[in-house]
Amino acid sequence: MALTLEIVTPEARVFSDTIDTVVIPTTTGEVGILPGHIPLLTQVEHGELRVTKNGVTTMLAVSGGFAQVEGDRVSVLAENAITEEKIDENAVVAALKRAEDELKAAKDIDPQQYENLQNLVRYSGVQLAVKRRRR
Amino acid sequence: MASTRDIRRRIKSVKNTRQITKAMELVAASKMKKAQAAALAGRPYAELMAKMLGAIADRVEEAQHPFLAKREIRTRGIILITSDKGLCGPLNSNVLKVVTDIKSPAKYAVIGRKGTQFIARTHRDLLADFPANDRTSFADIKVVAEFMVKQFLEGVVDTVEVIWPRFRNTLVQAPTVMTLLPLTSVKDVIADLRSDAGLEATTTAAAKTAQNQMLFEPDAASVLEAILPLYINRELFQHAIDAKASEHSARMVAMKTAKDNATKLLGELTLEYNKARQAGITQEILEIAAAQFAA
Repeated sequence: MALTLEIVTPEARVFSDTIDTVVIPTTTGEVGILPGHIPLLTQVEHGELRVTKNGVTTMLAVSGGFAQVEGDRVSVLAENAITEEKIDENAVVAALKRAEDELKAAKDIDPQQYENLQNLVRYSGVQLAVKRRRR
Repeated sequence: MASTRDIRRRIKSVKNTRQITKAMELVAASKMKKAQAAALAGRPYAELMAKMLGAIADRVEEAQHPFLAKREIRTRGIILITSDKGLCGPLNSNVLKVVTDIKSPAKYAVIGRKGTQFIARTHRDLLADFPANDRTSFADIKVVAEFMVKQFLEGVVDTVEVIWPRFRNTLVQAPTVMTLLPLTSVKDVIADLRSDAGLEATTTAAAKTAQNQMLFEPDAASVLEAILPLYINRELFQHAIDAKASEHSARMVAMKTAKDNATKLLGELTLEYNKARQAGITQEILEIAAAQFAA
């Protein structure tokens, strides 16, 4: 028996496949999901999402959203999600640097903007971690 | 009658214009296709969100969420979506006409330079303005949505509404006003999401029973609290993409009309040019013949 995993963002459907198991980063810690899991709805945090299929593990970087398990369907609703091979390391490093500089330079910016920047920094960090893990 | 040289000059300039409008039409057509594809790409997200909200709605008593609270409307908060560039027919002016008709006190946040200019020119209350990039990204729109939600929560505005040119088909874009906040009920939210995903408004009974055993982490109320802002962001994003599709199709149609007009004008000018040329030749022959008779 296999699970069906689907990861969607407002911009596109990032991932859709049958898998054996998935580990999702949530606000209450990592949750591993195997076939036969009880229905669950949980909040997803930025982090790495590990998918295992036929013994091969692939990773995705995700940021903020929700995950729902219902029968054999796992659906992840994320603000951002990117597969390992699509991460452009140089671009992420540049974006990270820009965001960090902005954070440092700006003392009295809007808290909302501050939070957005911080989210960007975290998401970039996760992307790098995912990309560099193989080495 | 204009001289042949003048006509030739005009023909050249009309030809240039036609070439430019033709190129712009092609560019707009390809961008329109992309924008329409982007609008459809948001469907699975809407569907999934409707499903999750459906699971929560039955478990939480109509929550005490500030988004759902009824309040007296003193100042309307309006997000106006226009284009950055012109040359797209009556698209922007139609939307701005709707704004002109708003008589009640309102504050504006604007996406797109055309709207910003209008609001500034007519001395309306502009809270913030944002550029309208060709590629609408969720991150950009999120900033706008969160800004407006903040104004709403702080009581600067009492509603959050969106005005944008809704895409009906390539020829028709209808300026539309829609209220984002306050929300009437979670059920309406679900119905709206389902219609965006191209589904019927109600869920099946079988899906309901599965939802009843749903486990929530940390708990249903906090999931609802986190998912509603996301819904607002998504909703605005969808409208922004829709406005993009409208803009490109309006531009395509405007450019096609311009190109057709240029072609027609070119035909008329060519005819006039040929007549003038012929008249010149006839005149010359007459003169030569007359000179020979005289000799």
